Amino acid sequence: MNTHHDPAIITAVLMAAEGAINRGLELDPASARDLADLSGTVLAIECWAPALEVFAIVEPEGRLHLTPYCEQACSVRVRGGLNDYLALTTAEDPAVTLINSDLEIIGNSAPLIALQTLVAKMQPDWEAPLVGVLGDVAGHQLANLLRQIFQWGEASSKSFRRQLSEFILEEGRLSPPAAELEYFYQEIDSLVLKVDRLESRLKRLAQRLKTPAR
Amino acid sequence: MTDKTNAASGETTDFGFETVNKNEKEGLVRGVFDSVANRYDLMNDLMSAGIHRLWKRFTIELSAVRPGQTVLDIAGGTGDLAAKFSRLVGDNGQVLLADINDSMLKVGRDRLLDSGAVGNLHMVQCDAQMLPFPDASIDCITIAFGLRNVTDKDMALRSMERILKPGGRLLVLEFSKPVNPIFEKIYDTYSFRVLPLMGQLFNNDADSYRYLAESIRKHPDQDTLLGMMEDAGLVNCEYHNMTGGIVAVHRGIKA
Repeated sequence: MNTHHDPAIITAVLMAAEGAINRGLELDPASARDLADLSGTVLAIECWAPALEVFAIVEPEGRLHLTPYCEQACSVRVRGGLNDYLALTTAEDPAVTLINSDLEIIGNSAPLIALQTLVAKMQPDWEAPLVGVLGDVAGHQLANLLRQIFQWGEASSKSFRRQLSEFILEEGRLSPPAAELEYFYQEIDSLVLKVDRLESRLKRLAQRLKTPAR
Repeated sequence: MTDKTNAASGETTDFGFETVNKNEKEGLVRGVFDSVANRYDLMNDLMSAGIHRLWKRFTIELSAVRPGQTVLDIAGGTGDLAAKFSRLVGDNGQVLLADINDSMLKVGRDRLLDSGAVGNLHMVQCDAQMLPFPDASIDCITIAFGLRNVTDKDMALRSMERILKPGGRLLVLEFSKPVNPIFEKIYDTYSFRVLPLMGQLFNNDADSYRYLAESIRKHPDQDTLLGMMEDAGLVNCEYHNMTGGIVAVHRGIKA
């Protein structure tokens, strides 16, 4: 139970998130149908810093209900700190991050993986609400424009990240390249190995010197 | 019988900041709600900036109502809680929307019919102090922003406890006492200056909204109400403050 926070604030945040998710599902009927197959699943998300507990309940109509309080038995519970959850949301491959991170998964992980797959596959038809409001022609044109803006934004973001990486590694020499780092680490490993061997030889030698000659 | 006894003894109670005879309060409260019934939801949204929906939603979450259960929503007014309970209990359950005020019930009935919430919903005009239901017949009782208008709150709580099934729960959502003194000052200014003004502007009735503000101040604070629920026989009583204690939801279980 979330005893440290004002329930009205948590409820407001969850209502907004629930509304956005369910609106997205309305625009992607295939995902809504897939979600309906998971009906009855209760996912508990527990964060210990800040202390917060949220439940996601899959409803039979293929909608998600988010609540700060639930008395139903949880199908799966995920525990972790805020950093772990942030890393998960920004990860390129959330499934791998989920397994390799410090997040603790308790219960049946199958519905969690199914939910994760569903989110990854989701493709809401953003054109539908625009066409509904503006009509076929204007709605389609605006949707195309928005699609181009998003694509440009995505491409620009990728390009910026690549160029920033090149500047840091190649031009500014602010950080060593990955291959150089890898070679450095191998050298360290090799040095550690040699030092260990030398240490054991010295120990053996010291042992021999201590032992009286026969 | 009770009314006659009260009249004879001249017992008094509060009506906002006024002290009135116990027999008069019911009629006075009815007058207030007759006046505000038509614009009740609009005024709730305006006065709370829509936050009352969050308070009610959290109350519904705490109720943990399941399909097939019987829910009684006392002072249900325009039926916003009842509509949600109707969906939660499903076809095999039932929701009883009760209010002492027929104007509020009529508005609630029309609104629920318009929204398609029918079949498992029944309207009952009754007094929360003398609930006309058999003992141990209800799984969950909610009373949202209604208890402070009841003349004898202890009697009402005992009546609710009587009709709850063992393990059934009572949820009281009501205005309460802000926990921060500075916030309380701001809230007081808002209640006594802004609320009557809004009542005058949007409903042409400042007095009813002044009464609402006064009745909130006269209502027992969180711990007092918790004690009253325990005195009525409920167990595992607890409360959750919301929006800095402006509102609190109390929950008690029938042993």
